[in-house]
Amino acid sequence: MPLKLSYFGDTSVPVEVEGLTPDWACDKSPAEIERFEIFEGNRKRPLAEMFRVSGSATDRCFEWEGNLAGVHWIGAGMQTGEMHVHGPVGRHVGSGLRGGAIQIHGDAGDWAGAELHGGLLHIHGSAAQMVGAAYRGAPKGMTGGMILVDGDAGDEVGAAMRRGLIAVGGSAGDLVGFNMIAGTVLVFGDCGIRAGANMRRGTVGLFGAARPTLLPTFRFATTIRPHVVNVLLRTVAAQGVKFDQRLLEEEFDIYHGDAVSVGRGELLLRQVEVAV
Amino acid sequence: MTQPDYTCITGGTVYDPANGIDGQVRDLWIADGRIVAAPSDRAVRPNREIDARGLVVMPGGIDMHCHIAGPKVNVARKMRPEEKRKAAPLHRTELLRSGTMGSVPSTFATGYKYAGLGYTTAFDAAIPPLGARHAHEEFADTPCLDKGIFVLVGNNHYVMQSLRKKEPQKLKAFLAWLLGATKGFAPKLVNPGGVEVWKSRQNGNVEGLDSIVDNFGITPRQILRGVAQATNELGLPHAVHIHCNQLGMPGNWSTTLDTMQALEGFRGHLTHIQFHSYGGGDADENTFNSKVAKLAEYVNAHPNITVDVGQVLFGETTSMTGDGPVGYYLSKVYGGKWFSGDTEMEAGCGITPIKYKNKSLVHALQLAIGLEWYLLVDDPWRVAMSTDHPNGGSFLAYPQIIRLLMDRTYRQDVLKACPPQVRERSTLYDLKREYTLNEIAIITRAGPARMLGLKNKGHLGPGADADITVYTPHDNKETMFELPRLVIKAGRVIVEQGEVRDPVDGKTLHVTPDYDRAIETDIRSWFEQYYSIGWRNYPVDFDYLHAAENVPTI
Repeated sequence: MPLKLSYFGDTSVPVEVEGLTPDWACDKSPAEIERFEIFEGNRKRPLAEMFRVSGSATDRCFEWEGNLAGVHWIGAGMQTGEMHVHGPVGRHVGSGLRGGAIQIHGDAGDWAGAELHGGLLHIHGSAAQMVGAAYRGAPKGMTGGMILVDGDAGDEVGAAMRRGLIAVGGSAGDLVGFNMIAGTVLVFGDCGIRAGANMRRGTVGLFGAARPTLLPTFRFATTIRPHVVNVLLRTVAAQGVKFDQRLLEEEFDIYHGDAVSVGRGELLLRQVEVAV
Repeated sequence: MTQPDYTCITGGTVYDPANGIDGQVRDLWIADGRIVAAPSDRAVRPNREIDARGLVVMPGGIDMHCHIAGPKVNVARKMRPEEKRKAAPLHRTELLRSGTMGSVPSTFATGYKYAGLGYTTAFDAAIPPLGARHAHEEFADTPCLDKGIFVLVGNNHYVMQSLRKKEPQKLKAFLAWLLGATKGFAPKLVNPGGVEVWKSRQNGNVEGLDSIVDNFGITPRQILRGVAQATNELGLPHAVHIHCNQLGMPGNWSTTLDTMQALEGFRGHLTHIQFHSYGGGDADENTFNSKVAKLAEYVNAHPNITVDVGQVLFGETTSMTGDGPVGYYLSKVYGGKWFSGDTEMEAGCGITPIKYKNKSLVHALQLAIGLEWYLLVDDPWRVAMSTDHPNGGSFLAYPQIIRLLMDRTYRQDVLKACPPQVRERSTLYDLKREYTLNEIAIITRAGPARMLGLKNKGHLGPGADADITVYTPHDNKETMFELPRLVIKAGRVIVEQGEVRDPVDGKTLHVTPDYDRAIETDIRSWFEQYYSIGWRNYPVDFDYLHAAENVPTI
C-alpha cells in the first residue's frame, strides 16, 4: 500500500517539501512522517499541518493528491522508489533525481528535473521553463536519466545538459538545448527561436511540423536517416509519448553547430514542412 | 586596590616559540584581554581556572595571506551559486548568524570557521584602495578575528607617475597617505606593471622585470624597487608584500629570482611563492618542473626575504586575484566562467572557478612544490603557512597541510596517488624532514606575527593579546588541529571543542605612518582630475571599524 499524501493547505506563499522522499520515509512510522518539517514560506511546519498522511512508505511508493501547484521540490533528490502525483505540481519537481520514477498526472512548474542525474521523470501534462536545465551558475545540467513531457515545455529545455534524454511531445519554447554539452533532446512539436545556441556537442531533434529558423552559426551537413533515431523514438514510444509515426520512416536534415562554441552538436530537422 | 579579573590556564604543554618555550608545562595568566605575568603573591587565585593538563597550548593562529573580504571576494560569492547550493549551510542559532560555505564562505561563516580552526587573526591580501570601505564593512560582519588589509599599489597610476618623474619622496608620502586613508596595513604589489598593460591592450602583460609598462615607460623593477624602498623608509611593520610577475607560468622561477635580487637588501615578503617556482617553458606541461631548491637556497642566504607558500590542495575552489591577466589565463585553461575587474587608476582583478586534481601532473607538481617550500627553507621563521585562500585551497585545509609536514609516511601516501613523473620533477620524495609542533607553531602563528611586525601577537609572553588555542594531542595531526579544544580571543573563550560559544568582534589592525602633508595638494589635484569619487569621500572613517589598533611604525 503506498503512502498517500493529500494536500489541504490553503496558503498563497510557497510550500517546500524538499527531502520528503521514499528513501527517507521507508523506515518511518506514519507519526514520524507527519512530523516531517516542511516550509511554508520561511516558517517550518510539520507535514501534517498541510497534508493528510495515510498508508505506508515501506514499499517506497508515494501517491500525492490535490492542487500542488504551490508545492515545490516534490521528489527532489530522490534515489529510489516511485511517486505518482495526481494534479499540478510547483517548481523543482524531481530536481537532482538520482533514481526511481516520478509520474506527474498534471502540469509541472519551472525547473522540472533540473540537474537530474538518473531515473525517470514523466510529466503527462505540460512543463514550464528550464526542464532538465542547469541551475544558474552550475556548469552542468542533467547528467543522466530520462525526462518525458507529453504536453508542451517552456524555454531552455535541457540547458547545459551533459547526458541523458529529454523528449517533449508538444512544442517547446526558445533556446532548446541552450549551452548543451552532450545528451539528447527531442521535440515533437514546434519550437521557439535560437535552438541549440552555444551547444558544444549532443543531439537536438526538432520534429515539429514547421521548420524552425536556425541560428546562422549552424551549418547544413547532410540528409540522412541515423539508426539511433529509431532507437530513441522507440524508447520514448514505449513510455507512452505520442508522436507522428511517419518519423519512423523519414530522413532528416542534419545541421552542425554551434560554431561559436565547439561546434560538434547536431540539429535534426524534418526535410520538409509536413502537414499534421 | 581591586584584584584584576584573572583567568589562568593551568598545566598546559605550552609551545611559544617567540619566547623560547618548546613544549614546557606552564600556567598562563590572563587579565583585561592580555597575557600577564603570574602574580607575585602566590595567594592570589584566578576568578576562572582552565585546566589544560595534557593539552597543547599555542598562540592563536595567524593567516597572513588570504582573501576573505572586499569587492572581489563578494563577486566570487555571487559567481559560485552552484557551490553554495551543494555545501551544507550554517543555520542561524540564538548565538550565531546564518551563513553559506563553499570555497568562498559568507562573512560570518568565515569568522566562525577560522575561529573553529584555532585562528584568531587574518589579513586580506589584495584590496584595491577604492574597495577598502567595502572590505572594512565586510570585516565588521566577520567576527572572532582581528583583521587587516594589504592595499594594492603595484599598478596604481600615482605610484607609477611618481616613479616616471623620479620623485621618490612623493611616492613615499603617497603610500603613507594611502595606507592612512584606507586604514590599510601594508602595501601590496600584484604583478607590478603587468595589470596596467593588461588593461591597456588585448591579452597584454609584462614578461619580466625589465618589460616596459604601457603609458608610463617604467619597468616592474622600478615599481618593485621604489615601493620596497618607500616601505622600508616609512618603517612600516610589514615589508612590501609581493605577488611577483608571471604567476603560474612555466619557467617563472627566473622572474621570481630576479625579484628577490631586485630588492637589493630591502625587506620584502614574497607571497604564495609556490605559484612562482616553476621550471619549464612555453606553457608546455611536459617541461613543467620544480625550481624550489634554487629559490630556497637564495632565501636561506638572504634574511631580508620572507615567504608564505600558497599551498595547493586537491579539490574544487575559486581563483581570485588582483592579477587580471592570470584570471583570464586560468579561465582559458579551465574553460569556466570568468570575471574581470578594472578599478579605475588603481588595480584589476580576475576570478574563475578551478579544480585541482591529483591525476593532473601540473596540479600534483603544484602540491609537491608547495610542500618543498616548507621543507627546504631552513629557518621556519621565514616561511608562513598559507593556501592563499581560496586560490590554492580553503583555509580549512590547514590541518591537512600540518599533517603532510609532520608525517612523512602520510606525505608519501598522498604522493603515491599522483602521476609518477612528480618524483622526477621535484625533490619532495627525497625530503625526510618532518616538522615538530614547535615548528608548526612558528609557521602558523609566531612567524607570521614577526613577519607582520605584530609585537602583541603570535606569542604568549606578558603584554601579548590573549589569543590562545588549546588542542587535544592526537597521533593524527590533522585530527588534532582541525578541532581545537578551546579557542580564546582577547581573554574570552570563544570556541569549545570546535563549537563557537562567544562570537566576539575582532579589531582592525592598521597603520598611520607620518608623511609630508604638503603632498595632499598634489594628490588632491590629481585625484579630482581623474577619480570617479570625491576627494573628501575617499578616506575610510573610523566609524567603519568595530575597533581599531594602530600598529606603530618601526
